[in-house]
Amino acid sequence: MIDGLLILLLFQFLGEVLIHLTGLPLPAPVVGMVLLLFALMLGVPGMGKVSEAAGALIRHITLLIFPLGVGIVLQWHRYQDNALALAVSVVFGTLIALLLVTLLLKVLLRRSSHGGGGDSRHG
Amino acid sequence: MAELPPSSLSGELLHTPLLGELLHTPLFGLLLTLASYRFAQWAYAKSNSMALFHPFIVAAIPVIIVLPLVGVPYEEYRDQTALISFLLGPATVALAWPLYRQLHTVRSVWRPLLITVVIGAALASGLAVGLAWWLGAPETVVGSLAPKSITTPIAIEVARVTNGDVSLAAGAVAITGIVGALAAGPVFRLLRVEDDRVRGFALGLVAHAIGTARAFEFSEKAGAFGGLALGLTGLLTALALPWIWPWVSSLMG
Repeated sequence: MIDGLLILLLFQFLGEVLIHLTGLPLPAPVVGMVLLLFALMLGVPGMGKVSEAAGALIRHITLLIFPLGVGIVLQWHRYQDNALALAVSVVFGTLIALLLVTLLLKVLLRRSSHGGGGDSRHG
Repeated sequence: MAELPPSSLSGELLHTPLLGELLHTPLFGLLLTLASYRFAQWAYAKSNSMALFHPFIVAAIPVIIVLPLVGVPYEEYRDQTALISFLLGPATVALAWPLYRQLHTVRSVWRPLLITVVIGAALASGLAVGLAWWLGAPETVVGSLAPKSITTPIAIEVARVTNGDVSLAAGAVAITGIVGALAAGPVFRLLRVEDDRVRGFALGLVAHAIGTARAFEFSEKAGAFGGLALGLTGLLTALALPWIWPWVSSLMG
């Protein structure tokens, strides 16, 4: 657990440093995530120890996020003027996106299955 | 405290100096947050994991009721729980782990999946931005909606870059996940989708972690594809939006 947290904090720190040095307009934890992904893919020893801490944080992501989310209700006066835009964007935007993405995948994966004889047999 | 008459206990307690002070320490905010979350987990399990009872919604309710009742402003509560919010950073880094694990399982179909992530992430974000802008929302609101289809910790980081509002972004992400999970069944029936790779990937791409949880209800395979889509979409959006945003922002004028 401690080893995992150490790895996560170290890579977040590396992300911060990299952004500071390069001036990239990217979120530091995302850069840390990419660096950790590279480290894992390159097989850097000891990186597997991240699994326990990573699993715990991801499993309880709702706990980490809802204290920010309650701000919508408790500070509703800041958002109420845009209630319609918010509702339409979130509800209809999501529905249309889900429809289009599903259609696109259906077409693309069917074509790839026809070409290669299905996913499980192909690889 | 023993000398307080029982009838006025609750009213008096709030005004004892000790408890009055405790309300304004991180201990109060953390205790309230953890207790609300525990209650929400219990309620979610009781409802057989119905999307409408997602812990994000249920956990918010006690906090929304208690804070005004004891007179702690939201800004103060947010400071009290800064320790919890800080963990969003390491949690984002942690997403590398499941992404790494799932990259191996889908090697044979990486090309169509990658094409879908690029087009799908642009669609999910573009539709949210376009609709909100069309309805006259200002840049703070539009910038909060841009990352709404990606997993919350990354979305929060992206919203800071797109001049969004952190609370609004967190809420938009959660509701997007819930809408996606609720709509999945009817949408897949309408489009006659029976391929669990399609179901899982579409859910993970559009509805992040909540969609992925829904995908696991179809099958283990759908869940794995959902997890992969969640990771790739979050990564791509986080890497692309900060570069594209200044241009989008100038278009909105």
